[in-house]
Amino acid sequence: MDFSRFIQYIASGTAYTLGVTLIALPSGLLIGLVLAFVAVYGGKLAGKIMDVYSTVLRGIPPIVLLFILYFMMSGAINLSPFWAGSISLGIISSAYQLEIFRGAILSVSGEQMMAARAVGMSKIQAIRYVVLPQMIRLAIPSWSNEAAIVIKDSSLVYAIGVPEILRRAQLISASTQEPFLAYITAALIYFALVFITNRVLGRVERKLTIPANP
Amino acid sequence: MSKPILTVKQLTKRYGSNTVFENIDLTVNEGDTIVIIGPSGTGKSTLLRCLNLLTKPDGGQIWLDDQEITAKGTDEDHVRQHIGMVFQNFLLFNHLTALENVKLGLVRVKHMPEKEAETKALEELARVGLADRAGHYPGQLSGGQQQRVGIARALAMDPRVMLFDEPTSALDPELIGEVLEVMRKLALEGMTMVVVTHEMGFAREVADRIIFMEKGSIVEEGSPDALFYHPKFERTREFLWKITELYGKKEAQA
Amino acid sequence: MKKSLVFLVLVVLTAALVAGCAGQKAESVLDKIKTAGKVVVGTSADYEPYEYVDEAGNFTGFDIELMTEIAKRMGVELEWTDMPFDSLIAAVQEGKIDMSISCFNYSEERDAQVDFSDAYYTSEDAFLVTEAFAGTIADPLEVAQYKIGVQSGTVQDDWVTTELVDTGLMPESNLSRYERVDQAALDLQAGRIDVLVADSVPAKAIMQQQAGLKIVYEGMLYTGPINIVLPDGDTALQAEVNRIIKELQDEGFIDALAVKYFSE
Repeated sequence: MDFSRFIQYIASGTAYTLGVTLIALPSGLLIGLVLAFVAVYGGKLAGKIMDVYSTVLRGIPPIVLLFILYFMMSGAINLSPFWAGSISLGIISSAYQLEIFRGAILSVSGEQMMAARAVGMSKIQAIRYVVLPQMIRLAIPSWSNEAAIVIKDSSLVYAIGVPEILRRAQLISASTQEPFLAYITAALIYFALVFITNRVLGRVERKLTIPANP
Repeated sequence: MSKPILTVKQLTKRYGSNTVFENIDLTVNEGDTIVIIGPSGTGKSTLLRCLNLLTKPDGGQIWLDDQEITAKGTDEDHVRQHIGMVFQNFLLFNHLTALENVKLGLVRVKHMPEKEAETKALEELARVGLADRAGHYPGQLSGGQQQRVGIARALAMDPRVMLFDEPTSALDPELIGEVLEVMRKLALEGMTMVVVTHEMGFAREVADRIIFMEKGSIVEEGSPDALFYHPKFERTREFLWKITELYGKKEAQA
Repeated sequence: MKKSLVFLVLVVLTAALVAGCAGQKAESVLDKIKTAGKVVVGTSADYEPYEYVDEAGNFTGFDIELMTEIAKRMGVELEWTDMPFDSLIAAVQEGKIDMSISCFNYSEERDAQVDFSDAYYTSEDAFLVTEAFAGTIADPLEVAQYKIGVQSGTVQDDWVTTELVDTGLMPESNLSRYERVDQAALDLQAGRIDVLVADSVPAKAIMQQQAGLKIVYEGMLYTGPINIVLPDGDTALQAEVNRIIKELQDEGFIDALAVKYFSE
């Protein structure tokens, strides 16, 4: 049996995996970042709403939300599996990223904000020039973790019919009766994606580190 | 007779049912160096933060020159451009170099062009003796150096008055001197200053007026000579000399 | 305050769910297919020899070739959507796919949510066991004494659940449901289940690919015929599909396919 062709078939699912990830992760970032600032600086009511958003979305297994969006909202929103999957994962990731950024913002001490205001900066200016640059550095380690999670969670879209790595491995496993080979192939591809991502982000983190005397 | 730069009338601040201070009156004239002393927790820092509206007072009024800054509709950010503040914990922007720290307000708040801002920032750093540390980050500077950068940052905005909130309390003893020296020079140059501190030597030598606060009100106010040698209240004498005992080294040096 | 906000959000989600279910299409899917010039067909390509992938990664198999011909006769292109078997019915219901072919047996429960074409082939069910298996099964109900595996959502799953578990002949804990037949076969080899109840054609395919298995019973449990799954109440589409199936049966096309894929 020519397993190399099967490996090719599984590997070609990577395009879909990357597609889903590259939609989910950045949209989660955008939403999560904005909501984090709203949560911290937007007042008590805004903070409470963000709490609910975060609690509900982090309390539902991603695959359940996937099914809800794809199957049950068809009357109102008609999405292809790829888009339903990517957007669902993006929304879920935004809840986790909201918490990552919220924690990072709060770690930049409130006194930094005070010092910025003392020089005459408005709240927005203070956030933009003082809080945000410091917050990003604090957020990178956790964010790197979240990126890895989204890559791995992208496999969930197999359930709604996106022909990504996992689904392809399943089909190969079924037709060749060689589950070990099929799934090891899939595992290696996922591992490589996560590994590379972590390395790149590690380098970004080092580049952004602020010099200090030990 | 110099004109008043800061005028405070009946200022009051409460946190819940706790009154921090009540009905404080205070006038700071141009060129004055006012030193506020008193036991911890007595509202001195809170009072200082009300002066530049970082903390909102619950009653009373404040004027900066002729403008009532406690009035409704005041552009507080704009007001703060004219009042400089130096913090106990320095509060330098950790992600920026010393030069960038001083420059930030000039570029973003005063909208000064880059080159001009850079020149001015270097001038201010030179003024506090740190021109050679311009490219260093706060994490690479000693406490005394950080605080001097903090002073330069505040000075760069050309404020009408400088507020110092216990500027040396967080410093190692050897580093206190360099900061007090900068402050002394500023006072001699005619800067209007309000300083909250425990440094009695500094107060005796540099202050035009000393204000003794306790339990949220002003106990006594007067020239250093008056307060140290002819205090009206027993409590004043007690406090001043007790503190001076503790900070005895400065006495011996004076 | 926070708890009631969470509750409110859940209510909103439920409302959206209901709203989503309420959306029904008025026009026939047949019109939509003709206008678009293509038919979107769902399948679960993990069921050799009905639907599976070859070395090049193409979908192939009895159902695949049959549907390809049907689409051709409808005069439209064919677009395949592959997904886990138990997602297919919902996908037809929600209009995500126009129809589905995936070795579906008729069942009353499914009929409530979707419609079926006429049968295009009749298959049987088989009990697959390891060669070491010592028992004999004359009456299918005798299988209740063993640990059984089925593919989730199939009529074999229905049969075991209704006839054996619900009647109390077999404890629920002895029944294992799998997403795919090959997963069940692995557990069969490992001894986690004693009997795999599946459609006899894929059962035989597995038996050929893996050593050490045999079929201990073959026959029709619920119903044998397999049908194409269609959207509920769409008589126009149903009529068209049935017409083509009859055509293919009369021409002997389907018989030839059966010989190609099912002869041993």
